[in-house]
Amino acid sequence: MSAREVTALEASCASCHDCGLLTRVHRGETHGLHCPRCGAAIHLRKPRSLERTWALSIAAAICYLPANLFPVMTVTSLGKTQADTIMSGVIYFVEHGDWPLAVVIFTASVFVPLMKLGILFFLLISVWRRSSWRPVERTRLYRLTEAIGRWSMVDIFVITILVALVRLGNLATIEASAGAVFFGAVVVITILAAESFDPRIIWDRSDEVGR
Amino acid sequence: MTQRGAGRDEYDDVADAVVEERQRPSVVWIIPLVALLVGAFVAWRVLSARGPEITIAFKSAEGLEAGKTQIKFKDVEVGLVEEVTLEKDLSGVVCRARMVAGAEAYLREQTRFWIVKPRIAGGQVSGLGTLLSGSYVGMDPVVEGKSARAFTGLEVPPVVTLQAAGRYFVLRSSRAGAIDPGTPVFFRKIAVGQVVSSVLDETDDFVTTRIFVREPYDARVHTDSRFWNASGFDAQVSADGVTINTESIVSILVGGIAFESRGRHDDATIAPAETVFPLFESRMDADKPIYTRTVAFLLNFDQSVRGLKEGAPVEFRGIEIGEVTDVRLEFDQKTARFRIPVMIAIEPDRIEGVAADQKGLKRENLEKLVASGLRAQLKTGNLLTGQLIVALDMFKDAPPAKVLWAGPAPEIPTIPTPIEEITASVAQFASRLGKLPLEEIGADLRASLDALRVTLTKSEDIGPALATTLKQVDRTLASVGPDSSVNSELRRALLELSEAARALALAAEQFQTQPNSVIFGKEGSQ
Repeated sequence: MSAREVTALEASCASCHDCGLLTRVHRGETHGLHCPRCGAAIHLRKPRSLERTWALSIAAAICYLPANLFPVMTVTSLGKTQADTIMSGVIYFVEHGDWPLAVVIFTASVFVPLMKLGILFFLLISVWRRSSWRPVERTRLYRLTEAIGRWSMVDIFVITILVALVRLGNLATIEASAGAVFFGAVVVITILAAESFDPRIIWDRSDEVGR
Repeated sequence: MTQRGAGRDEYDDVADAVVEERQRPSVVWIIPLVALLVGAFVAWRVLSARGPEITIAFKSAEGLEAGKTQIKFKDVEVGLVEEVTLEKDLSGVVCRARMVAGAEAYLREQTRFWIVKPRIAGGQVSGLGTLLSGSYVGMDPVVEGKSARAFTGLEVPPVVTLQAAGRYFVLRSSRAGAIDPGTPVFFRKIAVGQVVSSVLDETDDFVTTRIFVREPYDARVHTDSRFWNASGFDAQVSADGVTINTESIVSILVGGIAFESRGRHDDATIAPAETVFPLFESRMDADKPIYTRTVAFLLNFDQSVRGLKEGAPVEFRGIEIGEVTDVRLEFDQKTARFRIPVMIAIEPDRIEGVAADQKGLKRENLEKLVASGLRAQLKTGNLLTGQLIVALDMFKDAPPAKVLWAGPAPEIPTIPTPIEEITASVAQFASRLGKLPLEEIGADLRASLDALRVTLTKSEDIGPALATTLKQVDRTLASVGPDSSVNSELRRALLELSEAARALALAAEQFQTQPNSVIFGKEGSQ
């Protein structure tokens, strides 16, 4: 064994997720453990972390297609009905010279969800292949994913506010369309997927190889 | 652990077999499954709602917007224009549209499309709703015929949609006379249909007007119905006064066609669709009996035909039996003589006894008639305008002549307008002149001259009286001199008048700059 930090797992220890108390865990007894101090469930690693992350990431990827193909918002103004997808909205703003707004929408609604999905799949595949490649960077990617995920909801919030505000009857009405539901699903599911991923696994695998 | 007991301690570092619970797939896999199912369901719904793709060619894409313009039938959306592109030869535009599912059944060769926009035609304003909502493409679906995907759009909306129940008829007239698509068709002053199209025939110079008569009024069109142009109004002046007749206010403004059937009718006489009817210029024309059969004759006059025009009546002993169809001037190179051939058309149906004979006048009959003195002659039809008519009559003592069959029509010999007629009118004028009381006029004139002379002699006494009058005038003028009281008063009056005028000018200016001062008074003078 090299001169490196001993992991809690190797020392048959686990820390409580809630209060942080370090407890001793006996080999084989991995189920039904509870923190002696606060009573929270204690796991050495998040249970079935990889499986859950895989499932949620795949679900998010499936939802991503209709979220971008279907219109997210239908604007009816003076009898004219116009349905816009996320991309058509971005193109609309670009064509009208509203570059900053176009960049914001593109980043929050197209780029970030796609990047999150990409990072999640990359992490999952790298862990699955037991790669020991740059664990620090990969952990950083994971932290990034967790941090920016929620900002994608901006789009959904804008739509919900507009739908609630613009109710002028024949003059103008805005309605949310199918795409918005799928887009919301993408954001929520990717947040859950990032949540269920246990970054410690990155280090477990690289440690095994490095040993 | 090993059962046989041998070498039990030697295998101390053999790993323990681990009892592992068999892991079932996590419940979390339901989420991607559900996402997949919902996604597939939505995709299936969208794909199944997509109908066929069609192309419509228009002359101009005015009002068409890709991705926005809808195709509607009875205000129900049946499609959406997805793309508008120019035709390769720039002659028009082609718009690609996606129809809703199930629209296949209505896309036939006869299906028509047009752009609905605000329009005023045929006394009706249509498409006002599109002022706000933007144009849309109207559709007139058809369920029969060959299936089609490429269409040519109409430039104007069809007057009659194909669903409308009724029948089409064809009217022929020499001119269109304020008849456009959409012009109403009246039956007993009820609007029962509309003009569908009005075009000039390619082969002849007639205007063919297609009309549509709605059910149940189409059963009122019989084979002997008369159609006439009811544009504007008919004014008739008769012994009863002035009668103005019109079908409706609309027909005064935009024109109209009216029809009526006479006599008793049954189902057998109901005109089939696409029956061709003549269109008369007016109700009076329509009321006149029609003589479709004409027989042409040629007349050659040696005298002046001044006043003879096309359409002038041809009379036989004062009864109209036909009309002049052509008047020309010809020069014969061989004989160096002018000729004036006049074509006339006799309507044999006007003559009882001849009407039954379908072949018209028989050759030997005509020759017999000419031999016994049938001649044509020009007569004055109207003394005021000097219009001539052609009169046919039997002249017993006319010089013998024969029918000439060489020309395009049999030529009836003519005789010049009798000299007696001219001499008679000259004699009439002379007798009127003779009746003038010339002698009495002379006596009156002499008496007047006498009276004048008496007046002139009396004027000698007037001299002194005139002198007195002049003196008085002189005095009066002196009183109006520069120092007189009249003068000074007049001057004062003029001064006052000029002041009044200045005040008026001020008031006018005030009124112009502050019109409200008329009501509220001058500002600051409350």
